[in-house]
Amino acid sequence: MAEALRLEDAVEFAENPEPRCPCVLLLDTSGSMQGAPIEALNRGLQTFKDDLMRDPVAPKRVEVAIVTFDNDVNVVQDFITADRFEAPKLECQGMTHMAAGINTALDLVQARKDRYNQSGIPYYRPWVFMITDGRPQGEMPDFVDLAAQRIREEEATKRVVFFGVGVEGADIPILSEIVVRTPMRLRGLNFNELFVWLSRSMLAVSDSKVGEPVALQPPGWTVVD
Amino acid sequence: MDGRRLIARGLRWLRGDKAASQQFPEGLAPWRVVGASIAGSSHQNYGQPCQDAAGWALGPDRCLIVAVADGAGSAKLGGEGAQLAVSTAVNHLAGRRSLGSDDASKKDLIAALELARSALISEAEDRGVDVRELATTLILLQATPDSVTALQVGDGSAVIEDRQNGVIGLTKPQIGEYINETTFITAEDAMGHVETVTHQGKPSGGAVFSDGLQLLALKMPEGTPHTPFFDPLLRFVSYATDASAADEELRTFLRSPRVTSQTTDDLTLVLFALDGDQ
Repeated sequence: MAEALRLEDAVEFAENPEPRCPCVLLLDTSGSMQGAPIEALNRGLQTFKDDLMRDPVAPKRVEVAIVTFDNDVNVVQDFITADRFEAPKLECQGMTHMAAGINTALDLVQARKDRYNQSGIPYYRPWVFMITDGRPQGEMPDFVDLAAQRIREEEATKRVVFFGVGVEGADIPILSEIVVRTPMRLRGLNFNELFVWLSRSMLAVSDSKVGEPVALQPPGWTVVD
Repeated sequence: MDGRRLIARGLRWLRGDKAASQQFPEGLAPWRVVGASIAGSSHQNYGQPCQDAAGWALGPDRCLIVAVADGAGSAKLGGEGAQLAVSTAVNHLAGRRSLGSDDASKKDLIAALELARSALISEAEDRGVDVRELATTLILLQATPDSVTALQVGDGSAVIEDRQNGVIGLTKPQIGEYINETTFITAEDAMGHVETVTHQGKPSGGAVFSDGLQLLALKMPEGTPHTPFFDPLLRFVSYATDASAADEELRTFLRSPRVTSQTTDDLTLVLFALDGDQ
């Protein structure tokens, strides 16, 4: 059943009927991210906002949501257009409940699409961008498998584009089993470059026609083997 | 204005900001046509040229032929693909000897689409590129004082106005779940996505436009025309006296904040009116 139309959405979409380009940042905030990594990630989020704001279209089209996973999964920021997005200061603790994070991110995407559809807002294929320095921890293997299976299904049916990025220390072989697309590896703590790339990629998407793939700039921030 | 004429018979050709300068009736009688094609603000920002193309001409039995194509932004040569598709289709339709029944007109439009596809395929071969680099949508419209037939592959739309019913949508944008997913005539299965529609009865005017105007001109996602958008534009065309001045006014409108605050895409709009008492 469709939910009732929320007044807030109705007003927001009437005010800004631009097509939306949704992106979930699914971020690992487990204990191992403590210190330099989380600081670099927080600076990267600010860079993301700043870079999107430089574009004339992106502030009204790109929608950002942030989901963190550690011992808990938190929707730190539900979808918001880039012009109203404020970079949070994330903190770290505990284990790596990645599979639960994946489910929350995919649920959030589906809920957002429902709202777009209710309000007649056109949209682009959503992206989930998962960044981790580890592997699922503190979760049953079956639960992790189910999350991976869900990513496979949602990619196959084109419901979402799901990227995995491994920070140093990430278990890339495990990550490869979870995400469909080849995981990218971050060189050092180069979060700034990563988020500039992500911002530019969102622009390419929000100004694109698919049927033909969007030409993304090759990421300059990845480890080249 | 430094426009160029592609072929005789009154074809005016739009590409980017150029349009031929002619006085009405410019050999198109009983039709008046005003059109503009401008690069969207997002394209200007990135220095990309306009990837839309539009053209129109008088065909057999003084029918009006209009074509609008939107080259894929993700394709390297989308703009050139759009231009080639429009010129191929318009040349073919304008060069026919006579018009047949409505069904024959539909077949003619389909034949013009097939020729445009072949032209893109051989162009791609000549250049040694994948035909997807020339990906474009295509809308074709043929109007007579008795009926209007339209064909569409991809997004954008063709609408007409008649005295009884007001503004009516002929073809609707073909979009998938996602706004940037559409069908291009270069796709292998493009012929399976062809929509053709005939409207019986005398049109007073109409419009063909690319997807850049969809959010303003249509109620989305239904794709039905937004009458308050078209009413003043169609009235404007039926009173226009100077073709190039009217084109310029239309361009100014498409560049005004009223429009640009809503869209950053390339914009192409071809409006036509049938002079009264025809």
